[in-house]
Amino acid sequence: MLTLDLLINGLVIGVFYALMAIGLSLIFGILKVVNFAHGEFYMVGAYAYTLLALMAGVSPWLALPFALIAGLLLGLVVERLLMRPLYSGYTSWGVMRDEYAVIVTFALSIFLINVVDKVVGPYAYKGPALIDISRITIGPIAISGHRLIAAIVAIAVIVIVALIIRYSFWGRQIQAVSQNRLGASLAGIDTAKASAIVFSLAGGLAAISGALLANIFNPTPDVGVFPAIKSYVIVVLGGMGSVPGSIIASIILGVLESFGGVYISYQYRDTFGLFLLILFLLFRPQGLFGEKAREV
Amino acid sequence: MLSRRLGLLTFAAGLFAFSSITFAADTIKVGVTVAQSPPGSVSQGTQVKDGVEVAAKIINDAGGVDGKKIELIVEDTQGIPEKARAAVEKLITRDQVVAIVGEHQSSAALAGIEVAHRYHVPYINTNGWSDVIREKGYPEVFNPGNYNSRVAIAVADTMKSLGAKNVVAFCENTDYGVGLAKLIGAQIAERTQGISYKYETLDRASKDYLPAILPLKANPPDVIVEILLPPGAYILLNQLNEQGVAPTAKTMIYDASGIADYPDFWQNVGDAAKNMLVFGLYHPKMPMPELGKKVAADYTAKVKADPNRLLFQAADSLFLVAEAIKAAKSTKADDMIKALEGMKWSGTRGEVSFSNEKSGFKYHQWLDVPYVTFQITAVKQPVADMKLVQDPGKALDLSRVEKTK
Repeated sequence: MLTLDLLINGLVIGVFYALMAIGLSLIFGILKVVNFAHGEFYMVGAYAYTLLALMAGVSPWLALPFALIAGLLLGLVVERLLMRPLYSGYTSWGVMRDEYAVIVTFALSIFLINVVDKVVGPYAYKGPALIDISRITIGPIAISGHRLIAAIVAIAVIVIVALIIRYSFWGRQIQAVSQNRLGASLAGIDTAKASAIVFSLAGGLAAISGALLANIFNPTPDVGVFPAIKSYVIVVLGGMGSVPGSIIASIILGVLESFGGVYISYQYRDTFGLFLLILFLLFRPQGLFGEKAREV
Repeated sequence: MLSRRLGLLTFAAGLFAFSSITFAADTIKVGVTVAQSPPGSVSQGTQVKDGVEVAAKIINDAGGVDGKKIELIVEDTQGIPEKARAAVEKLITRDQVVAIVGEHQSSAALAGIEVAHRYHVPYINTNGWSDVIREKGYPEVFNPGNYNSRVAIAVADTMKSLGAKNVVAFCENTDYGVGLAKLIGAQIAERTQGISYKYETLDRASKDYLPAILPLKANPPDVIVEILLPPGAYILLNQLNEQGVAPTAKTMIYDASGIADYPDFWQNVGDAAKNMLVFGLYHPKMPMPELGKKVAADYTAKVKADPNRLLFQAADSLFLVAEAIKAAKSTKADDMIKALEGMKWSGTRGEVSFSNEKSGFKYHQWLDVPYVTFQITAVKQPVADMKLVQDPGKALDLSRVEKTK
């Protein structure tokens, strides 16, 4: 019974991790930089959902797409204002582009946390439930109605995003830019537009992840820090830039943390991912689905 | 030409220094270290800051201390030890404060007292509960707030009164949390018989506590003791409720952190807090000296909210500094420390005096901090309506405790 409980919990948490990590993975795939403000997109989504529903009285089901839009717009604005210099002078940036990305996204993270802290306040806000059933019991499994619905919505969003990237016109262009930015550019693909779409999409995914978890993890201004750290681990485990890799790594990490927390030690639960990360860096540095780097 | 410039510069610097001294002489500077931004408990920090400001206004409106106004200099520690250390260093060396008050998180207090001790500046620990703060034996540190040993004794006695046989505590991974969880175990072993006790440490930053909760479903304990600060405490309560572990007819929740009077408590916790027992350092039905009533009224007028325990602790901390200066007729550290050691002063919560017994948690501690136990009997209940089940200085009255059906 406990095993089943832990498995379900691990899978559910893994799905939420995946929703968060896919965006980060896409950004790395296309821009080859790590977005240190990714957790703050999550935070913005959580607050947008919670405040709209609680203060403006909007239905949680309506607040959810609003949170998604808030993340998409924020991603778009950040890309245009802060990230565009990264590739507008693509060939001449050299080493500096990495430093630029680290400093800019790190500063953005601190800025957004402090803005929300000062404007909204430091107190925790529990987001409203999508369904007002505190506990659904299926055999030996008990799960809150909201957690169940949120997991289903998260799976649906992941499937939709995967289909868009795999089959849509812009999805294919994103894949092309991810494989070879210069090559894609020579083939006539608007790489700047592809980058903008990816950054916006990543913001939206993180935001909807934050919104879905707002009822479970009671947002505070620094709520995004922890899931962002998990996402960085997942992106490396899955293979930098690989969306399927990120999804599988998320599920593995969620289940590992769930079981390890009981059968090894709950105290060390958050170190399991880091331990796995060290093992991967030693024995399979390209991650689950990543490609070994080739330079000619 | 160069020497003339240097001369002008020296003159300007001298003028500036003189004006600073003149300004400093007009006020008594007191440093306040609180968390004003995450990841520290900003809820607590805000309550403490408000409490100190209310006390400063009362003192200044009454003419100040020996004719000098109190000037507060507030530093944000973010609840992070290294920031707390830097804040105290800055307050002492740059701002030349005569004392430090306000710290409300044990980890930050443990860092701050090292600096205060090094510079030999009085440090009033407003709300750091960890016994280790006292066990350091620093003469500069005085503790008018609550302490872990007192809570541990209260919890052990309550478990005995409730007839609990199996108790599980969830504590946060801080000096305060782990320290209190261990002390509760020691007190249960010392003061009771036949109670099985264990504790689980939870990461404050982590949000998914289910792996720690799920194993309890098969064999739920009689009481779950919660030793976390918000928002971790809220998340734990909600997840315990979600899994049907507590509150139930079998399992009660005991809040050892006193979170029920936080302004965001009911927004974050609904049914999950039903029938929860709360270790309380303030309840409107507790007897209160005149100064406490004045502070409560001024606070309500200032922030339009009901009083809370941290308000009184914070106000007392600043009042103590003022009383020490008055008694010593000096702002010199040695004189103030001597005055505090011999002080018997009627504060907002009762007559405060500090133990000078140089052993363990008792050193420079106000040992008789009043506390009660109250029970939440309805969702969204104001603190004033929460049911007192243990009066100050009395044993828990089991007949008043309501069980979950």
